[in-house]
Amino acid sequence: MKILKIEKSQGYYRDTEGNYETIDKIDKAVLLALVNLALTDDFEIDEYNEEDLKNQAHQIIYKSISSKLIDLHRRRSQFRDESERLFLEEYEKYKA
Amino acid sequence: MKKIDLHMHTISTISDSHFEFSLEKLKEYVELAELDAIAITNHDIFDLAQFNEICEALNCVVFPGIEINLGAGHLLLISENHDLEDFQLKATEVAKKVVAIGDSINVDDLMRIFGNLNNYLLIPHYEKKPSLHAETIKRLKDVISAGEVDSPKKFVRMSKDETELTPVIFSDMRFYVGMTKFPTRQTYIDCGDISLKSLKFALRDRSKVSLSKLDGNSTFQVFEDGQCLSTGLNVILGARSSGKTETLTQINNSCENVKYIPQFSLVQRDDTNYEKEFNADVTRKKSIFSDKHLAPFKTVLDDVLSIDTEINKRRVADYLDTLMKSAEEAQKFDSFSRASLFNETLFDLGEHTSLTELVGSVRQLIENIEFRDVIDKYVDTTALKALACELIAILWSKAYERKKKTSVNDIVREVKSKLQLKTSATQIKDVDLYRVMFEHKKLLKFNEIAKLLQEEKIIYQESFQGFKVVCKQRAFQGPGEIKNVSGQKVAFSDAFRDYAHPAKYLSSLKANEAFTPSEFYKYFACIEYEILNKDGFKVSGGERSEFRLLQEIKDAQNFDYLLIDEPESSFDNLFLKSEVNQMLKEISKSMPVVIVTHNSVVGASIRADYIIYTAKELEEQKITYRRYSGHPSSRELISTDGKKINNFKVTMDSLEAGESAYMERKVGYENIKN
Repeated sequence: MKILKIEKSQGYYRDTEGNYETIDKIDKAVLLALVNLALTDDFEIDEYNEEDLKNQAHQIIYKSISSKLIDLHRRRSQFRDESERLFLEEYEKYKA
Repeated sequence: MKKIDLHMHTISTISDSHFEFSLEKLKEYVELAELDAIAITNHDIFDLAQFNEICEALNCVVFPGIEINLGAGHLLLISENHDLEDFQLKATEVAKKVVAIGDSINVDDLMRIFGNLNNYLLIPHYEKKPSLHAETIKRLKDVISAGEVDSPKKFVRMSKDETELTPVIFSDMRFYVGMTKFPTRQTYIDCGDISLKSLKFALRDRSKVSLSKLDGNSTFQVFEDGQCLSTGLNVILGARSSGKTETLTQINNSCENVKYIPQFSLVQRDDTNYEKEFNADVTRKKSIFSDKHLAPFKTVLDDVLSIDTEINKRRVADYLDTLMKSAEEAQKFDSFSRASLFNETLFDLGEHTSLTELVGSVRQLIENIEFRDVIDKYVDTTALKALACELIAILWSKAYERKKKTSVNDIVREVKSKLQLKTSATQIKDVDLYRVMFEHKKLLKFNEIAKLLQEEKIIYQESFQGFKVVCKQRAFQGPGEIKNVSGQKVAFSDAFRDYAHPAKYLSSLKANEAFTPSEFYKYFACIEYEILNKDGFKVSGGERSEFRLLQEIKDAQNFDYLLIDEPESSFDNLFLKSEVNQMLKEISKSMPVVIVTHNSVVGASIRADYIIYTAKELEEQKITYRRYSGHPSSRELISTDGKKINNFKVTMDSLEAGESAYMERKVGYENIKN
């Protein structure tokens, strides 16, 4: 699922309903939803490209968000493991 | 009655300081102490060749044994005197496991190596360091015959307590070349013949074990010449220079954990110095008390110490200013400042402290051993384990969410700052109002608590033999008082202006870098610690000495012996008779007390359990020092070399300057009375 895309020199994000909105409207709640998607396998975005994206404000937002999400997606297993390392030993012991 | 010493060392091991064993000295000791049986118990080792040599040389029963490092404590394991090769093999297995300082074996090793432990006599270090762990003793209780102690006080206490092990006291001595003094710690046992079996049988009955041959546990041997002392109250009488103080010094040197109050040590010699010393003592106690009283306040203070009200105020003001400005500029927004993220706030990342603690508590319930039975009575462990797992799973998902929000916050922060660079519009500065308000509430509570602490009231009061110890809290009356408490050179006058408003005062203290924050808790309320006499006034010089003597006697409870040299030299008779005698009598019920005196109030009125009369005698133009001793009701006192002396005469001479002087005084008093 493509969650960030560049079209007609503008940056877009995909909201929870599946509609695309311009990236300057993105807020932290949406961003959290995007982070959730980035941590799944089903994650796709248009790579940042200054040639295609002409709007300067969009450039700033798109560049920052896309690079962070790509990084998170790449490290998604590590990300989950780190959270679940807490009390893991006890968990394994008592689960048995 | 047989006299036994089943704990001694003949080999220098890693657990001992180095010594060179002397068989001659061991032989001398066994003969002098008239021992019927001994056991050779070296640390984690048994040397059969040396053992055979010792058996050959001695005229008493010798048992083979070993002192084992069992867990953190020591255990004596003594064997019958046969199958020695087998015992040697078993001991070697212990030796293999204990090769460095700190090594030990456990109970399973012990059982594996020695098999049926019923075949041995097992005596753990009990009221003696390093003692065996209570759990280990519980596990071995069916095979343990007695518990070793290191003083007559502990021996008597355990022998009176049916729930305790039978006590035994042994020398634990290393016999080395050139030793000059022999120990007097041995146990008497009523066991008929001496075999391991009969010893074990006798040890089962605590009434068959005692500190002395004839007097049960009421006396014990203190010097190697056979001199005994009562396990209760002893009075030493005698003329000047006859060896009274010397006797106390010898007891002090040959016994361990002794409280010794020397003559004149409590007398007021130099008034100013003495008062200083006394006050220092009071100050020390005060500081301990004050720290205890202020500990909860310190926790509160530590919590509010990091709150900076100025910064909080500035954050709120900045937020409002930027908000207003941004509203004014609404018309001028460009594409950068119009982006939603331009004024986006950050996610609040709360810690999961309570959940983490909850997981810890459930884990404790699952793993606790001490109260297992009670926990199992009410809660099912399987259910607890399931609960722990579910809580941990919740914790994981919360931690996962938190991490996600952290990532979002990172993005928001980065985008905001980049957008800000491109525009002249004002960005609204974020403020965490929840935190600001929470910290404000915290400070209000702190104010309230600090004010409670400044209310004048008595917080502790203790009456002690006619004296009263009073502790008070109150507000400081001026900066000088705080300066005294702080021990600092810096003046408190600036900060003190805000003293009535604790939170403000705290800010002023923080503002001065010369002060140490960890000491702040002492600067909010004055804690007074005073000692008053029975009339409620501050104690005088003489009363100070009295108070200290009583304190010293009270303190003796933490020791195994109490020795006092001529208490009468500093105090009046009424004080001695009412306060001192009463306390000494009381304390002598639980430990040996030895008093040197010339005074009839102490010597006669106290009703001692045992009298020792020291004498300097001229025999064939040579001076001999002798000690005669016996019970107060005995007609004669007897010396260790068998000489006798009339008890009534020496008591009269020592305490009343002779019978005729006593009678004269008595007549004199009668005349005044009539």
